[in-house]
Amino acid sequence: MAAEVLRMIPTKESVELDDRQLVEQIRQGDDRAFEMLVRRKTSKVYGLCYRVIGNSEDAKDISQLVFLKLWENLEKYDATYAFDTWLYRMVTNVAIDFMRSKQSRDNAVNSNLRLVKTSIDPEQTVTVARKEVESVFNAVSNVLSPKQKTIFVMSEMEDLRSSEIAKVLGCRESTVRNHLFNARKLMQTQLKRRFPEYARLWEESR
Amino acid sequence: MMICTYFRANLQPGNADAAMLEHLRHCDACLDFAMSVDPDLFFRSLGGDEIVPPGGIDAFVGDVMSQVRVHDAETSLARRHSVSAWQRWAIAATVAAGVTGATLAYRYEHAAPQPVHIIAAAKPRPAATATKSFVETYSSHDATIVEMPNDGSDTKVVMIFDDKLPADL
Repeated sequence: MAAEVLRMIPTKESVELDDRQLVEQIRQGDDRAFEMLVRRKTSKVYGLCYRVIGNSEDAKDISQLVFLKLWENLEKYDATYAFDTWLYRMVTNVAIDFMRSKQSRDNAVNSNLRLVKTSIDPEQTVTVARKEVESVFNAVSNVLSPKQKTIFVMSEMEDLRSSEIAKVLGCRESTVRNHLFNARKLMQTQLKRRFPEYARLWEESR
Repeated sequence: MMICTYFRANLQPGNADAAMLEHLRHCDACLDFAMSVDPDLFFRSLGGDEIVPPGGIDAFVGDVMSQVRVHDAETSLARRHSVSAWQRWAIAATVAAGVTGATLAYRYEHAAPQPVHIIAAAKPRPAATATKSFVETYSSHDATIVEMPNDGSDTKVVMIFDDKLPADL
């Protein structure tokens, strides 16, 4: 008897709704379902925004904007497609728009400024620290276009396949691979110029 | 979670699978080694983290939900104040009817007293009435004719009191 009762109590997995079911509940006017969805997707959305934008406060604002857009456009979501693809598309659109406007603002302000990097001795032994990699990434990824950077982040850090990125961005897989190739090349050139101590890693491994 | 010895023994350039990447992204001790084997892992080591927005997830979700409520309130207010196409037509028709009515009323009000104004305007100009009722000769047995004193001009002003006097005279 006790075993039967136990079997009837739903486990957490069986109760937890998947993304599509949550969307359905939100469409029926359930605000708590939306809160659940936001909580579930915050790390994903904020993480991608943070990697692409490179600034925690801007990334937070953009993430909130993404969720607000999500709330506004939830009626347009077609449940035959993966929810994450649709969400990623929204994130990349908003983040790329933000990056473009930020780049044009920065260009206007810094048109006469040139970054002078004082790097450490290239012959010095390389000890890689994660925080350092992050700051190097933020420094060298500025040469990428917003789209290139978004593709690079989705591929290298979010581990999305080219086919998935193509679906998110609504372009061909070959276009994604092309952007990725160019992005890697640009990043390595920048590393060589501004952080020769790390560029040595590639030269040594050849 | 994969142990460091396994990771170091099995890491090959260009073949980091999900488990290898997970280890790389969480083990600082293996970072240097991984870079020396495959430099392309340099930036890949950054991914995979659960990045939390400043202030934490609860605060973030709270902010989003409050923004959503504000947005909803604004939208419902806008909806309440917005008018549909037929409502716009009805408003336009009412306004048009009002304007037409007001114009007609104005015209009526300003057209009715016109004779009064004309008479009033005519009063200080007796010459105008004199030209209209110019009488050269008049003969009647019942009439009383009063001749006004002449002020020196050629015109002679005469007042005729007669019950049978024609109305147009």
